[in-house]
Amino acid sequence: MQSTIKTIARAHDPALFTRADFDQAESERIGVSNYSYWRSTLRTFFRSKLVILLVALMAAILLMSFLYPMISRIDPTKVSTRSRNWNLRPSWEHPFGTDTLGRDIFARAWYGCRNSFLLAFCIALSDVGIGMIAGAVWGYNRKLDPFMIELYNIMTNIPSTVYLVLLAYIMNTSYLTLFISMASRGWIVEARFFRNRILSIRDAEYNIASRCLGTPMLRIATRNIIPQIISLIIMEAALCIPYSIGSEVFLGFVGVGMPVDAITLGNMVNQGRASFTLHPYQMLLPTAVLCLITVAFYIIGNRFADASDPRNHL
Amino acid sequence: MAERGLARNMAKYILRRLLRSAVTLIIVFTAVFMLLRFMPLNGYFPQEMIKETDEATRMAYLRNLGLLDHPFVQLWRFVRSLLHGDLGRSITVYPKVPISTLMAEKIPTTAFLGFFSMLLGIVAGLSMGMMMVRRKNKLGDSLGNGYILLVRAVPSLIYLFFLQIWVSRWLNLPLVYDKDIPKSWILPIVCLSLSSVAWYALWIRRFMVDEENQDYVKFAFVKGLSRKAVLRKHIFRNAVIPITAYLPADLLNIVAGSLIIETLYAIPGTGGLLTTAIKRQDNNLVQVLVLMYAALSILGVFLGDLLLAFVDPRIKLTEEK
Amino acid sequence: MNEHKGPLLLSAKDVVIKFNLRGQELTAIRGASLDVYQGETVAIVGESGSGKSVFTKSFIGMLDQNGRVESGSLLFHGEDMTKYSAEAQWLKVRGKKIAMVFQDPMTSLNPVRVIGEQIAEVIMWHFHKSHDEAKKETVELLRKVGIEDPEQRYRQYPGEFSGGMRQRAVIACAIACRPEILICDEPTTALDVTVQAQVLNLIKDLQREMKMSVVFITHDLGVVANVADWVAVMYAGKIIEYGEAGEIFHQPEHPYTKALLRSLPQLGVKGHDLYAIQGTPPSLFKEIRGDAFAPRNMDAMKIDFEEEPPAFSVSPTHWAKTWLLAPEAEAYRQDLARRDAEASSAQTPSAPFDYGKAEPLLSVKNLSVHFKLGSSRVKAVDGVSFDIYKGETLSLVGESGSGKTTIGRAVMSIYSGNVEGGIYFKGRKINQKLSKKDRGKLRMEMQMIFQDPMASLNDRAKVDYIISEGLYNFHLFENEGDRLAKVEKMLREVGLTSDFMTRFPHEFSGGQRQRIGIARSLIMNPDFVVADEPISALDVSIRAQVINLLNRLKQERGLTYLFIAHDLSAVRFISDRIAVIYRGRLVELAACEELFSRPLHPYTKALLSAAPYPDPDVEKNKVIHIYRPEAGDAATAREWIEAFPFHFVLATREEAEEYRRENN
Repeated sequence: MQSTIKTIARAHDPALFTRADFDQAESERIGVSNYSYWRSTLRTFFRSKLVILLVALMAAILLMSFLYPMISRIDPTKVSTRSRNWNLRPSWEHPFGTDTLGRDIFARAWYGCRNSFLLAFCIALSDVGIGMIAGAVWGYNRKLDPFMIELYNIMTNIPSTVYLVLLAYIMNTSYLTLFISMASRGWIVEARFFRNRILSIRDAEYNIASRCLGTPMLRIATRNIIPQIISLIIMEAALCIPYSIGSEVFLGFVGVGMPVDAITLGNMVNQGRASFTLHPYQMLLPTAVLCLITVAFYIIGNRFADASDPRNHL
Repeated sequence: MAERGLARNMAKYILRRLLRSAVTLIIVFTAVFMLLRFMPLNGYFPQEMIKETDEATRMAYLRNLGLLDHPFVQLWRFVRSLLHGDLGRSITVYPKVPISTLMAEKIPTTAFLGFFSMLLGIVAGLSMGMMMVRRKNKLGDSLGNGYILLVRAVPSLIYLFFLQIWVSRWLNLPLVYDKDIPKSWILPIVCLSLSSVAWYALWIRRFMVDEENQDYVKFAFVKGLSRKAVLRKHIFRNAVIPITAYLPADLLNIVAGSLIIETLYAIPGTGGLLTTAIKRQDNNLVQVLVLMYAALSILGVFLGDLLLAFVDPRIKLTEEK
Repeated sequence: MNEHKGPLLLSAKDVVIKFNLRGQELTAIRGASLDVYQGETVAIVGESGSGKSVFTKSFIGMLDQNGRVESGSLLFHGEDMTKYSAEAQWLKVRGKKIAMVFQDPMTSLNPVRVIGEQIAEVIMWHFHKSHDEAKKETVELLRKVGIEDPEQRYRQYPGEFSGGMRQRAVIACAIACRPEILICDEPTTALDVTVQAQVLNLIKDLQREMKMSVVFITHDLGVVANVADWVAVMYAGKIIEYGEAGEIFHQPEHPYTKALLRSLPQLGVKGHDLYAIQGTPPSLFKEIRGDAFAPRNMDAMKIDFEEEPPAFSVSPTHWAKTWLLAPEAEAYRQDLARRDAEASSAQTPSAPFDYGKAEPLLSVKNLSVHFKLGSSRVKAVDGVSFDIYKGETLSLVGESGSGKTTIGRAVMSIYSGNVEGGIYFKGRKINQKLSKKDRGKLRMEMQMIFQDPMASLNDRAKVDYIISEGLYNFHLFENEGDRLAKVEKMLREVGLTSDFMTRFPHEFSGGQRQRIGIARSLIMNPDFVVADEPISALDVSIRAQVINLLNRLKQERGLTYLFIAHDLSAVRFISDRIAVIYRGRLVELAACEELFSRPLHPYTKALLSAAPYPDPDVEKNKVIHIYRPEAGDAATAREWIEAFPFHFVLATREEAEEYRRENN
């Protein structure tokens, strides 16, 4: 240790060995100041080129699927009576070809996107919305635990296929039926998820501090709790979309999904499947669009979840 | 002495859990039974009577079946015959065949395929998840994540359909299932396990990554154990515990079968039965199937909790306090 | 020349460690050197962020993934460990030659494997022994670390062990291979004072017996005084002073070491400000010029900002890196010494609180609180009664789980359903249904300050909102301008500037956050404040600031405090009376000095004897009382007896008589 002690090589100016001014502000200065939760989340999220690509692509598809019905004059339900218009392979006139009734698949794909998106958004809204409220009530009332946990276990353990099929059987096939049968199950998964999150922040000291200050429940919810879980809400909503579209495809397969004349991605895939061996493009193209959407939202949701976790803000 | 205390706590825990499951079973059973009263009435008529338009005859038929009685009376009757092993008879799908006979015929096929696919799912899924943790953020991990992504994000019908068409052609495997041709079992079993492989891999990976950040894992490293030893003896062991809770439910669910796969491969099992029953409007069959699935799921949750209590000492200890 | 007991084992030289954090580079260790000799204990003292943990983790190659040893060397038995590239090389050292014990015993052990196997696995791994042999050795080890009934304990899970027991098991793990060096990273910080004393003794005994070297990391100077042969003081990634324990405590040279020792509440004079270190530790993201401590040093010289001081030797065993030791600074040094002497002689303690004409502000009568845990009920607080007089500070002292925080929260009406007994504020019962208006008024009159400054501020809200929250709730402002003025005034009162208002809490250090929390409570103008361990989560150099702030606010605003603490050192300095709580029951209550000079209850005695005191001479000769409640003790009917005037104790009549006899 002695060897580390160096002798002073050069003499110093004696004036330096006098009192320096004390600066209070300088003493309080610290360095970890440029951290902002949202900035870091977004930066981590958009650091991946894949994510940027997918978000841009989804934004474009979303925009197009709502704009297309307004600007295009092609009627996606128009059946052609002439057989030479049936089963046309993709061409400039019909980019995705026509189906067995001569309907333009490209147009149908956009309409299908729009309808499937609308359904998915409704389901996402209700699942996450109801789930969050139920989760909050559940998180704040431990007495509900035995009941809700049992309900959760049963609802998630009965295969979703049985559940969806049964409800669809009892009611008639329509958008509403599909919505009800999916939404009536999805909320509890979200409720459990939010309940766990809320439970972990409910007794955080800053929430107790708010209670000590007499902050009303509503303000605690809007100022303390929602800002903490807003990123989870976004993520869960994004993940609802592949789930909803997948369920729609499944119900169409079982034959209890949408009415046959409704244009949705699920119906298009199922209708295309029937003629797959003869005209594979009729199934492949809508399927590609559908998979692109579900995979993109799945990736976006998961990547956002990773990005919103402060532990990943490196 | 402490051990005897723990055993007593365990017994108390099991008893309480059993009681809760029994109550749940009764409530769910009743609720589902009542819900099933809303099934379309057409579903009670055999094929030859569907066209019968005379209202009086129809009502007489329904009354004869006891369907116009108070729902609770119907429930009581159903339970009573259930206790005698009588599940009623199919109406349209297999006219007049006792459902119990039907099930006895179909369950073995489904359970046989399901059992092997479950084994495959657990073994392949867990090893895949382990591999992903060991090669975290490397190629193996990305490939695994890609697989999980595809299986979970793409609607299962779509990939199962393409697998059937393309893989059967590529490997020259039969397109449909035949119980006498073992070669035809391969695709259905693999297809059945695809999603559970993804499920096990996803969760074991996630749990292991969570465990990796725990202090005790850091301490295990500090003890001088190699990464491999820590992964095996500490991280995997702890991460697999929450997963064991799902095993019983999985095991029970193999009798339910997969609707899509059994339809695609024309497997004469229970999976396609519910759809067929619904399409052909066979209310008796729908009722038995749905109640069976509900009962199985409750039993599965119960057994899962029980298993968890045996493998996780923390549960015994919290019961004590 | 060699004053050390044994040969040199480990020599760290000019170690520089860097981390990548959010795209920025952080230099955690800026060239630190340390030698570890056989059979000795060297304590590294420093506050959080000083790099003491990171430094020692590099000894066993356990830096986090984004960190690396940039330069310097780590010589262990002549081999430079910074050159190690493969895991296999580290495995020969880690756990076997150099072992480590972590801070929190509750999380250091795998919860789902039995204790014994976790220890045996080390023996099997490093010495390739059979399971049976390892098991036999493990049982011996458990006995050695003071765990009774080791065969039985071998088969138990960590959940069945208490905190102190677990730390003993962790130590057993660490010494299983008879390591040459044992690194203890704050091993007792998470433990209660009474348990801490026992674990420290255990470590010392083991060291003597096994001739180990111990590197002891801590922020607690009392603990240092107890264990250390040598002390290294670390600040901002550098060791700034090194010497024998006695030299460091009695003749510190670096301004930081001096300030640290002077700011200890044990050395404070009641009624006067503690000596406080200003400001917060520097950011390690930026390059530091000169002496890192200079910006916080009131008496810094100009050269401290210009050039980094080299190590000046004070004695053959003691050196410090400060320009004060340079020959050129001789005049300035003498000037400083003269001032210090003048300042310290002037203080006389203030008069004790006068209870003659005091009126109670808050009365707690027979308070019990239950919790439901699974299917059973747990009594966290059991029949507690006390009064708090207007203008006094009553401290509630007890170990974790004793129910002290529960009492504080019950007083604040945060638990509603399971509280029994009466809580009276200004003569009114408050633990019952109150009208919204009354409850609101009460919320303004009673406020709380929290323990953890990291958790007690909502980090998604700006400081402006956090401080104004109470104002918004009760509309305590006329217009926006008025509100801003109030917030600014409050910020100034706690020593912060108004440009903090538009920032988020995570931009601040712990001490600054705690001051924001205090501002949030006091802007409501309360009469009564519950302070729940407000300094225990803070760094040593920050504590004095906050203690002074609390004391000043009390005097200026005429506040009454209920101060909850487990740390006796600060309690003695700030409180008028002290109540000792053990397992949900008050065991003793007396005026501060009375309690310290005449403790009656055996638990109080144990608590006082165990509290570490920052002087090696005192620590090395201290006798620890151990309190073991006898079986069936709880069932014995004990009453709340006034053994001496204003000195209450929980005792049977016979015991009380004996206490009186013994102390007269």
